[in-house]
Amino acid sequence: MEGSDALLAARLAAGDDRALAEVFDQLAPSVYGGALRVLGNGSAAQDVVQEVFVELWRRPDRYDPAAGSLRTYLVVLARHRAVDLLRSELRRVARQERHYRLTPAEPPGTASDEVMAAETASVVRAAVQLLPDGQRRVVELAYFEGLTCREVASAMGIPEGTAKSRLRLAMAKLETVLDRQLLEST
Amino acid sequence: MSTADRDQANLPMDPLPIALRERVMAASLLARGVGETVPAVPAISADEAFERAADAFYRLLGTLSEQGWKTAALRGLDVQELVGHLTGVEHDTHRALAGDPAVADAEHVESTQGSAVRQAGRSPAETLDEWRRAADHTLELVRPPGGDLAADGCTGRIAVHGIRLPLDDLLVVRAFELWVHDNDIRRAVGLPPSVPDPPVLRLMSDLAARMLPYAAARMGLPPADLRLVLTGTGGGTWDVAIGEETAGRESLAIVADAVGFCRLAANRVTPAELGSHITGDEGRAVSVLAAATTLALD
Repeated sequence: MEGSDALLAARLAAGDDRALAEVFDQLAPSVYGGALRVLGNGSAAQDVVQEVFVELWRRPDRYDPAAGSLRTYLVVLARHRAVDLLRSELRRVARQERHYRLTPAEPPGTASDEVMAAETASVVRAAVQLLPDGQRRVVELAYFEGLTCREVASAMGIPEGTAKSRLRLAMAKLETVLDRQLLEST
Repeated sequence: MSTADRDQANLPMDPLPIALRERVMAASLLARGVGETVPAVPAISADEAFERAADAFYRLLGTLSEQGWKTAALRGLDVQELVGHLTGVEHDTHRALAGDPAVADAEHVESTQGSAVRQAGRSPAETLDEWRRAADHTLELVRPPGGDLAADGCTGRIAVHGIRLPLDDLLVVRAFELWVHDNDIRRAVGLPPSVPDPPVLRLMSDLAARMLPYAAARMGLPPADLRLVLTGTGGGTWDVAIGEETAGRESLAIVADAVGFCRLAANRVTPAELGSHITGDEGRAVSVLAAATTLALD
């Protein structure tokens, strides 16, 4: 396949949709697999596959055959998009956490929120294992067990301010860890 | 194991969800239609294409030495006589635009031979000036002051040298011929070949693709559905139906460089020299490419 990457790129640039179908048939399993391993969730991985192939079709000139194979280009693009999606989801969860801390009573989450939270949990869990013990426990209680910062502090026997501080540090570290994992994988 | 390792080890990939392919293709084609090129090439009018080709040809002729003008170029004509041939083509085009039936089926070379040989004894400057004035007059005829060609009766097909085409297509044919002879002269005097401006090349590619069914019919080729992909800036993608609508039509795909394909349509390279990529019956595809060479007027 790599030997014909330049030809495929030229066909894509010429508007040959059959070239896109050929690339999809040959490389979509790798792209999907790469996204699935970062996200741990099939639905989100499918979104990444769509985003990656639409991007390839819309801007085939961004792929330079001299710089590497089309397979590598697409898999790396998929991992970037997957990590972007993950980081975006982490920020959403963090915003939600701040919202809960400011709300006296726990508001009932919607079904989609709960599904998304469950999906996110499975993805973040691997990265969380790399955190120092104190920060990891805060994240586990806050995200996987759904405790508020006050409850986390109480469960761990630490001041609430310390729990918040650890959570902030953990969030920053998670993003760094995910970035490093991406770089290593490329 | 990373995905790259897994790929290299040829281990099974994660199974793709059903319907993802259809979803991705639909989303992609919403973002950009079939045949839309990247980068996009600005659309220009056919008369603009002719003018650009004429300007490029004029610039080339301006660089030639006295000896260059006397260099053998094509069909036994030297460069000066070849320019004379092109002057003759412009004069016949003027007559066709005026509705003169005498030029409709005139033979392209024979009809202009008088203009070619008339250059003997003239200076290159005279030959160049006569051709430029003839080309400019073509533009004047197709660009009436009011900008309304219909008022001048130019809405129908124009018949000249055995071809009958709408005016716009005829002007692209004229641009095509200027570019082809530009390269004949370059080859004769040892200059590198030229490539048309992308918008001009796009019009030339499009015309050659649209003319393929007629060329194939002349050669008696059997019906086929052809996907023609011309690569490079100025190329594009065309689905060309060859022959009658019948069941069991052959499905062919030809991918070739756009400039190379235009050289093929000008009969300046052979199908083998073109270096195309073929899907389907190779013999049938080569026959289509061979038919394309018959589009040339020379």
